Amino acid sequence: MTYVVVEACIKCKHTDCVEVCPVDCFYEGENMLVIHPDECIDCGVCEPECPVDAIKPDTEPGMESWVTLNAELAAIWPVITEQKDAPADAEEWADKPDKLALLSRNPGEG
Amino acid sequence: MSVLQKPTDFTSDQEIRWCPGCGDFAILAQMKKLLPTLGIPPEDIVFVSGIGCSSRFPYYLETYGIHGIHGRAPALATGLARMRPDLQTWVVTGDGDGLSIGCSHLIHALRRNVNIKILLFNNQIYGLTKGQFSPTSPQGLVTGSTPKGTVHEPLNALSVALAGKATFVARSVDTNAKHLGEVLRRAALHRGSAFVEIYQNCHIYNDGAFDYAKNAKIKANHVVELNHGEPLIFGTEQDLAVGLNGPRLETIKQRGGEWADKPLIHDETNQDSSLAQMIAQMRHPEMPEAIGVFRAIKAPTHNDLMPDQSPTTKERAKRLKKQLTSGQTWTVA
Repeated sequence: MTYVVVEACIKCKHTDCVEVCPVDCFYEGENMLVIHPDECIDCGVCEPECPVDAIKPDTEPGMESWVTLNAELAAIWPVITEQKDAPADAEEWADKPDKLALLSRNPGEG
Repeated sequence: MSVLQKPTDFTSDQEIRWCPGCGDFAILAQMKKLLPTLGIPPEDIVFVSGIGCSSRFPYYLETYGIHGIHGRAPALATGLARMRPDLQTWVVTGDGDGLSIGCSHLIHALRRNVNIKILLFNNQIYGLTKGQFSPTSPQGLVTGSTPKGTVHEPLNALSVALAGKATFVARSVDTNAKHLGEVLRRAALHRGSAFVEIYQNCHIYNDGAFDYAKNAKIKANHVVELNHGEPLIFGTEQDLAVGLNGPRLETIKQRGGEWADKPLIHDETNQDSSLAQMIAQMRHPEMPEAIGVFRAIKAPTHNDLMPDQSPTTKERAKRLKKQLTSGQTWTVA
């Protein structure tokens, strides 16, 4: 089992989760973070840290595609180990639905 | 029964009750990766534990498991390995369970070279009982039960294991996934008692105890990886090493690309455990701390040494009766 980052993270990209992860398994894209499913140890410490509830256990229904996406992007994005400021407009995007089309596959700074 | 192939096949249906973020999750994750590679059916694997956070380990694996009594997991596992040599038997213990109440059991299981694999999760604190000092707490540690700091020297888990003549002795770090996975694999394949100390972060009661060995930015200067036949070189620039100066180990530095003093070459097969003891006792911050396999030697196991005394033979009952009624025995009226 692993935890995965889902749609709510897109364009919000708070990084509170990064600070608490004991195994540094978060990877940064331009406007989203993902979790490396093979590195996640399933400890759950990140889940309640996310202000927009974007971290879910893969045992929840409908997570299959997100596990695949997290695995795919973790392989090409840089690891992020320290918290940084969220985008200035993060609050505006917090509750917006259907953000998947806005996902950038470009890597973040790490 | 077919052999399972995926880590998730070894995941039990039990809800995990460790604190989120606990280093124990990291160890469990590596164990789940290792078990499918061993080619042993899950019903032929047993995890035996004592008491403590670490001792909840057996619940979370889809194998057989015994949550035993405090400190007695090595004794339970010795009996199991004696009676059922066909099983792979693991012991999971902690610094409190294994080095306080169960310290003697641990030493003697190792001394007998019982074919069991012992994992000691060392977080230098009693976590389950909410943060009292343990036998491995560093001197001066302020805890709930030592408000002015601990006053005694800590026990060194590997020194204890080496003193117990363990035939396989290793150390790793919970979140160093690759290293821990390899050390666990080596322990699993060892014939006889294998002892592995795992530095494990308790982020609730003793957070950061092993930061020097876990933090990616600094650990290279504080940890030296042991590899058989290779020099004890470490440091971000790989320009530091551990050398032997007379009867002492010391940190030496490369100058101009050359080693003025020769780095020590690791020999895990050395029958004499003196150097392994010295390496085990290297402590941060004076010296780098060593991780890896300290000692791996071949020796007869407990069962090898007692082949004709198998308690599983039919002769056992007869022999026992004869023994009990012979020599200096009498009947109390």
